[in-house]
Amino acid sequence: MIALRVLRNAALLELQQLAVSTFMIFCVLVQPFFIAVTVMFMIRHRPDFDPVYVVVGSALSGLWSVVLFEGNWIVGGERWMGTLELLVGSPTPVMLVIAGRLLGAMAFSLISLVANYAVGAWLFGYEIGVVDPVGFVVSLLLTILALWAMGIFLAPLGILSRMVGQFINVLEYPVYALSGFLFPILLLPGWTHPLSYALPPYWAATALHLTGSGAGEARSLPELWAILVLSSVALVLVSRPFFALVLRRAKVDGTLQLA
Amino acid sequence: MPAIVLDDIRRTFHTTTGVLRRKPKDIVALDGVSLAVEDGELFGILGPNGAGKTTLIKILTTLLLPTSGTARVLGLDVVRDAKRLRPRIGFVLGGERGLYWRVSGRANLHYFGELYHVPPKRLRSRVEELLELVGLRDRADERVEGYSRGMKQRLHLARMLLHEPEVLFLDEPTIGLDPVGARELRDVVGALHRGGKTIVLTTHYMFEADALCDRIAVIGAGRVLALGTPGQLKAGVSDLSVVEVEVFGASPALVERVEALDFVESVVVEQRELRQVLRVQTSLGERAVPRLLPTFDGTQVGRVAVREATLEDAYVRLVGRLE
Repeated sequence: MIALRVLRNAALLELQQLAVSTFMIFCVLVQPFFIAVTVMFMIRHRPDFDPVYVVVGSALSGLWSVVLFEGNWIVGGERWMGTLELLVGSPTPVMLVIAGRLLGAMAFSLISLVANYAVGAWLFGYEIGVVDPVGFVVSLLLTILALWAMGIFLAPLGILSRMVGQFINVLEYPVYALSGFLFPILLLPGWTHPLSYALPPYWAATALHLTGSGAGEARSLPELWAILVLSSVALVLVSRPFFALVLRRAKVDGTLQLA
Repeated sequence: MPAIVLDDIRRTFHTTTGVLRRKPKDIVALDGVSLAVEDGELFGILGPNGAGKTTLIKILTTLLLPTSGTARVLGLDVVRDAKRLRPRIGFVLGGERGLYWRVSGRANLHYFGELYHVPPKRLRSRVEELLELVGLRDRADERVEGYSRGMKQRLHLARMLLHEPEVLFLDEPTIGLDPVGARELRDVVGALHRGGKTIVLTTHYMFEADALCDRIAVIGAGRVLALGTPGQLKAGVSDLSVVEVEVFGASPALVERVEALDFVESVVVEQRELRQVLRVQTSLGERAVPRLLPTFDGTQVGRVAVREATLEDAYVRLVGRLE
């Protein structure tokens, strides 16, 4: 019960702060808008063009950007504001607080889905309808779960040092490509495919594209959902000792505060 | 029974120097600190910048691991029993940071109250009580970014008290505050002490330590240089008087000449707008004046006064021995 209250309050704090952050509004609104418009112009004349595929892919890029940047910034920002020490010194596990903050960020990032729907439906006049509405909603929830778990897993790296945290940012575009957000991974060299299979965002994109536009049928929907749930649980379980290890290191090195 | 016991605490920070060829370097922040703080005591820690005050506070609040030695707060080991200890202590680390500036003061308190597992019903009334205590009730719904430094410091105090901790750690809580703000904050600290809280306070301000603390530890270079009540520390300089000489244009050479005099214990220069005040510690009292003034030949001298040594003078004597 206490854990749920902490999650809810951390998520609310995150939403309150994001609502006045122009950079994060750019990430969920402006950047996916430009990606969607660019891709629409590039491929809309192709015979196999599917606007739903583009809308879902662009929205996923917005979700991933928020997880990556905000997950990293939550830790960096806490350190910069001098609140990281207060979190570590409180009786609540830091992982729970960061998980709550990420949850707020994920809720905020759903704006990108709405924005991309608007681009496809209103700007380009396409009829945007998903082939399997129930499957799509379940896939979307599991996508949020998987990306949330990935954010939790990556967040402790930011505690180690600011340098490591900044390095995480370079993961943005490789994960776009390797996860097949906007084009199938079959277009990539074969040796990259195992990397894609190891990324929960790939399975999230596959499930959303399958239920959204009907694209790709390598695996059945229940299989994709099972992979998403299992990979999320595994990431959260691994994150727990990882957090403990990183916090211990930070308390040895004295990196909980700005030097 | 002591609320806090430190036994031979050492803390070393590893760092590197150089850009291309990095050389490892160890910085000793604490070098075998042992002391005890009694239950209900207001204990002061004084020391110059880099003396190890903040490192000590961070070890006691479970934010840093000691390199060796043991520290116990309320009978709990700060390393092994950190989880059990955290709900029973509160801390303020000084400065303006440590708050969420984009949300209101009230929202900050509610958030931290949840982190300290204060039951929701109790939290609502507790937040109101504390806003009243620190005088922020009228501004509680404004964003923290619009608060003055003093208001942020008072909000820090309220945040620290949310879960009614038994032991409080205050690291330079009045730093950067205007005199009125600092006095208000000291009043709150004094009231908490009278209410029975055990408090550890670090400060640079001698009068603050003198007015508030039951006992004081002076630390320098990571070691305890002196420990006692303000009266006991002052008694350590009862043999000394201080001659204050106001001059216009005190050169380093002049200060060196004064320091070289055989009856001078130490010299501190305080800049006051266009003039300087040289505080000369000596055991000669008034008899030092006629022997001292010829040294100022060629320098414009203003007021000269002789007074008894204060806690600050005791501190200067202790810390000065390190140099």
